[in-house]
Parts: sequence; structure tokens; C-alpha cells
Amino acid sequence: MKRRSRTMDRAKASCWTKRAREGRWWMTVIPLYGFTILFVALPILYLIVLSFLTRAQTWGVVNQLTLENYARIVKPVYLNTFKESFQLAILTTITTLAVGYPFGYFMARLPKKRKTMMMLLVVIPFWTSALMRMYGWIIIFRSNGILDKLLMWLGVTEKPLKLLYSYPAVLVGMIYSLLPFMILSVYSSTDKMDWSLVEAARDLGATRLEAFLTVTVKMTLPGILSGIVLVFIPSMGLFFIADILGGGKVMLVGNLIQNQLQSGRDWPFAAALSVMLMIFTSIMIWLYRRLSGVKDLEGLL
Amino acid sequence: MRKTWKKSAALTAAALLAASLSGCGGSGQNDGTKAPETAATEANQEAAESPETEEAKQDKAEEKPSGGGELNIYTWAEYVPQSVIDRFEEETGIRVNYTNFEANEEMLAKLETSNGGDYDIVIASDYIIKIAADEGLVKEIDKEKVPNYENIDPVFQNFFYDPENTMTVPYGPGIPLLVYDPSMVSCEITGYESLWDPSLEDSVALMDSERVVMGMALKTMGESFNTEDLDVIRAAGDKLMELAPNVRVLSQNQTQDYLLSGEVNAAFLFTSQVVLALADNPELEVVYPEEGLGFGVDAAFIPANAPNSDNAHAFLNFILDGEVGAEVSQQTYYLCPNKAAYEFLPEEFQKSLVISTDDIPNGEFIQDVGAEATALHEEIWTEFKAKLD
Repeated sequence: MKRRSRTMDRAKASCWTKRAREGRWWMTVIPLYGFTILFVALPILYLIVLSFLTRAQTWGVVNQLTLENYARIVKPVYLNTFKESFQLAILTTITTLAVGYPFGYFMARLPKKRKTMMMLLVVIPFWTSALMRMYGWIIIFRSNGILDKLLMWLGVTEKPLKLLYSYPAVLVGMIYSLLPFMILSVYSSTDKMDWSLVEAARDLGATRLEAFLTVTVKMTLPGILSGIVLVFIPSMGLFFIADILGGGKVMLVGNLIQNQLQSGRDWPFAAALSVMLMIFTSIMIWLYRRLSGVKDLEGLL
Repeated sequence: MRKTWKKSAALTAAALLAASLSGCGGSGQNDGTKAPETAATEANQEAAESPETEEAKQDKAEEKPSGGGELNIYTWAEYVPQSVIDRFEEETGIRVNYTNFEANEEMLAKLETSNGGDYDIVIASDYIIKIAADEGLVKEIDKEKVPNYENIDPVFQNFFYDPENTMTVPYGPGIPLLVYDPSMVSCEITGYESLWDPSLEDSVALMDSERVVMGMALKTMGESFNTEDLDVIRAAGDKLMELAPNVRVLSQNQTQDYLLSGEVNAAFLFTSQVVLALADNPELEVVYPEEGLGFGVDAAFIPANAPNSDNAHAFLNFILDGEVGAEVSQQTYYLCPNKAAYEFLPEEFQKSLVISTDDIPNGEFIQDVGAEATALHEEIWTEFKAKLD
């Protein structure tokens, strides 16, 4: 009797503490949920609602529901802007992958001390404002700038080129800004890799290239895909690079949204464009999950 | 020129800072006992006039023990010269908080969220002041508190955004002009139309503003900047597309640098940029477009619920003083709307400022054209930009 009651007590007690612990666990999540609801969900909701409203004649928004804003996106002019942004984003992603993959791969294979050193060198540019770094490119690219002088000195060109304020200049700026994301993603998945699998493949008769293609690429795929997502998505929206290095001549979706907000004073249309951009990026992330089978982004997130 | 101005401004600022620091070191404690009283009386005076801002006012009085309260200025970066702000602070004991915006629309959005509170002085462009006034966000100026109001040259008054001259003080009026480098340009430039000349391929800088650039196309067709006729706008858009091969860069700020560095050979510039370009290279030619001039005024106003309305009036009165007005215009490089300031302007400055006030009545403002026309302008602009890269 005595013994039994004691076990029952213990059971009761443990039950109680467990429930208490559950209760407390729930409490710790409140700030997280609160933050997400307040700063992520509500603004998005606001954006979606706004995208269905009508702009006022001169300033502000009228509470009149319409699908007009979405209908306007399908106009060839605006579809073309999406297409151009998409093209630039694809070009940026492919180039960063081509440069960033080997970079990240070999970085992960360096001795530990030099690895940390390299990591630091990759991250250091982030300490300066991205805007400042773009102005640095102006100094290099402008007519009679550093690159022009170098090319003329080498005898490659005879007179100053018009390098700045062009599509290629924007592309260079994009690649430069987003390359670190690719490097770090590839690096982190290569760093985690089990090299004995590559050795096994080699032992079983695979050539270096075969082993790389069948084992290494597959195992670093999450890194590659997260790099692609981390490069592709921002490159759809980085409007200041297009403004600075494109001399205001390259219009991406980001520039279009900014224009609609400012000189266009058409907030609902800007919201509709943003919603489209969000849907587009969500599809990218969904694809990433499907392809890689990974729920989280490798590396930075 | 601009560079040297910045440098000297920095030096003056540094010198003033050093002076004020050493001043504080000596008498800081005395200040401490005396100042809260003045601040408090100031606060009470203000509170009596605008009871709804009483709390805000008292907070500020506590924060700032050594002077006549605060003044929150909201405008573009560096648009009010630091030397003018320093002098105002020194003369009145009012501490100035300078906040800047990038675009007029950004300003209006912010002003709307705070219902015309937060800021005491806003300096922005004509068309947005009109919208702000229609939204009820602009306060009427109490001219008894601004005796210098009569210094305003009447040429710069009675405009559409303030027909009765009750709400604004003109700050930076200007006429955008064409400027080109005659040694690089083979065709004759007489107006907007000349920019379409094939010899100018890839060598023209324009403003990154759809209404201005579209306005040029409209003017070549003999139309107004502000036409709301969609067919006319469309026709101007078609014409604009033909300009694409000649455009080297679209830029709002420091556009004169492209001309000076040889990146472009012709440019459509704001008045301040025209002055700076000529100061650096007097060989440049300035053209008054034959199709018709544009005109714009950046003006100062007091938002409807400005927390420090008295200080705002004091500031308006201060910049309308002849000597101060001359300093403002010399450093912003816009036209001087202050007739009391003319005698203080150095002769060299008057000469480099090529626009005569006789041209002003001929200039046309760019105004709001309503939702439909604005949307069409945006659409054409997007199409135009796609043609540029």
C-alpha cells in the first residue's frame, strides 16, 4: 500500500512538472511568434490588402477593391521588366556559381588556419556599406578610369571605352555583391563532407572526375542550391546597383517598385508588383526544397 | 568648387565646434542653473498656443537645458548650408535637428503618418507642396512673426501651390537648362529637339525623372508639360523612344560631373548644376531651350502640427534676412528669391548665375496630372528604360 502510493505520488509529481515544463516552453515561444506576427505576417498582410486597393487621384489610396493592379502587371511593358530582371538574376547566378563553387570548394580544403583567414577575407567587404563599394566600381569603370588607363597602357584599346552605365557594368556589380553568399554556402557544405566516400569511390575504380561528379557534387548539392537561392532572390530586387552602375538606364523589378512608390505615387500597383515578386521567390524556395530535400538553407540561414 | 565649399564648411564647422566646446568648459555650470528656466518659459509660451503639443514640448525642454528649444528641419541632404544652421543656433539658442529625405514623395508619406507633426520646417518641391496643402498638412504662416516676409521678391510669389502667399517661403527657385561642350558637339544645339540629333549618339545626360524627360518630348511637339490628353502623351512617348540611342546616363544628382569629366557632351541640368558646371569650365555653352522653359521652386513650409511652430517662424524670418538669404543662395546655387539679399551677393556670383528674373514668367511648372496620365507616364518611362540598356 505504502509503496504503491509513493509511486503514484511520483507519477503525479512527474506529470505535474512535465505539464509545467510544457507550459513554460510555450511561454518562451511567445516573443518569437509575437515578433513574426508583428514584423513579418502583418506587413505582408498589409501589402496584400494594399495590392487590391485603388490609388487616389493625386495622393494616397482609396478603399475600393480592384484587380486592376494585377491586370496591369500582365502588360507587355511590365512583363518585360520581370523578364529582364529574371535574365539578369539567372546570369548573375550562373556566374557566381561558376566562380563561387571552386572558390568555396578549395577554401574548405585549406588547412584550418588559412581557412579562417580566407573566411575573414571573404567577409571583410561586408563591413563597408554596399553603396560605398559600388562607388568604388565607378572609379574603376568610368571613362579614363583605372580600367581604361590600364587597357590603354597595355595597348589593348586606343581610346577610353564607355564601360560604365551599361548592362555589363550592372552584371559585374551584382556578381561582386552576391558572390560571397555562393562561396559561403558551398564552403559550408564542402566542409561538412565525409571525404572517405570520395576515397571509396576512387577505390572502386572511379576516376577523379567521376568521383567528383557522382559523389562530391551530390553531397554538396544542398550548398549549391542554397547558394543559388541566396544569390538569385536578392538579385531580383537589388535596385541600387542598377541605379548606380547602370546610370539609371537599367530597370529591374526593384526599380519599378521604387518608381511606382515615388514618382508614380501608385502604392497599390507597387504592392501588387511586390506580391508577384514574393510569389516568384516563394516558388524558388519551394523548388529548392523539392530538389534538395533539405528544409533549411545551408550555410547562412 | 563644390569640393572646396565642403572643405571650408567642414573647417568652419570644426572651428565652431572647438569654440563652443571651449566655451562650455568655462561656463558650463552657470549655464546649467540658468537655462532650464528659459527653456521652461519657452515651453509654456508654446504650450499656450498649441495645447496639444504640450507634452512633447516639455519632454524636449527637459532634454535640452541650454537654449530656446529645438527646430526639426526636414529636407534633402546638405540643402540648408551648415554655416547657416550654425549661425541660426548661435543667434537664437535653438538647437537644429536636420533630417533628410531622398524624394519628395518619401517626405509626404512621412508627413502624412505623423499628421503634420514631427517636423517644424520642410523644404520640398512645388508640386508636392500643392498636394500636401490639399491634404491639410501645411500650416498658414503667421506673418507677424516673420517681418522679413516682405523681403521676398514678388516674382517668386503667387504660384499654383500657394496662390495667396500664405503658406510658403520660396527657398530654391530654378530653371533647368541645356549645357553642352562646344568642343565636342558638332551640331548646333538650340533646344530640346537638338538632343535627338544623331551626332549626339550615346553622349547625352538627362534627369532620371519621367516627367522632366517626357516634358522635353512634349515641348518639342508644342505641348504643355502638364497635358492630361493621353493621346498626346502617347505621341510624346513614341518620340521619346527615338531619343534612346543618344542617352548615355540618367541622373538626378551631380549630373554636371558627367559633363565635366567628358562622359557626356550635352546635359539637361538643374540650375544649381548649371552654375557648378560653368564654375568649373567656363567654356561650356548654356542654352535656353527655344521650345519653352521649365521652372520649379523648392519652398519652405511649416507642417500643420509642427511641434515647435514658434521656432519654425523664427527660422523662416532668419533665412529671409538679406545677408543670410545671400549666403543660402551662394551655397545652394539656386536663384535668390530674396530681394534684400541682392546687395549682399558678390558680383562674380551674380554673373555666373545666368538666369534673369525676366525669364521666370515664361517658365512652366511641372504639376500633378492625375492618376491616369501619371500611370501612362510611368508606363512609357518603363518602356523607355528597357530601350536604354
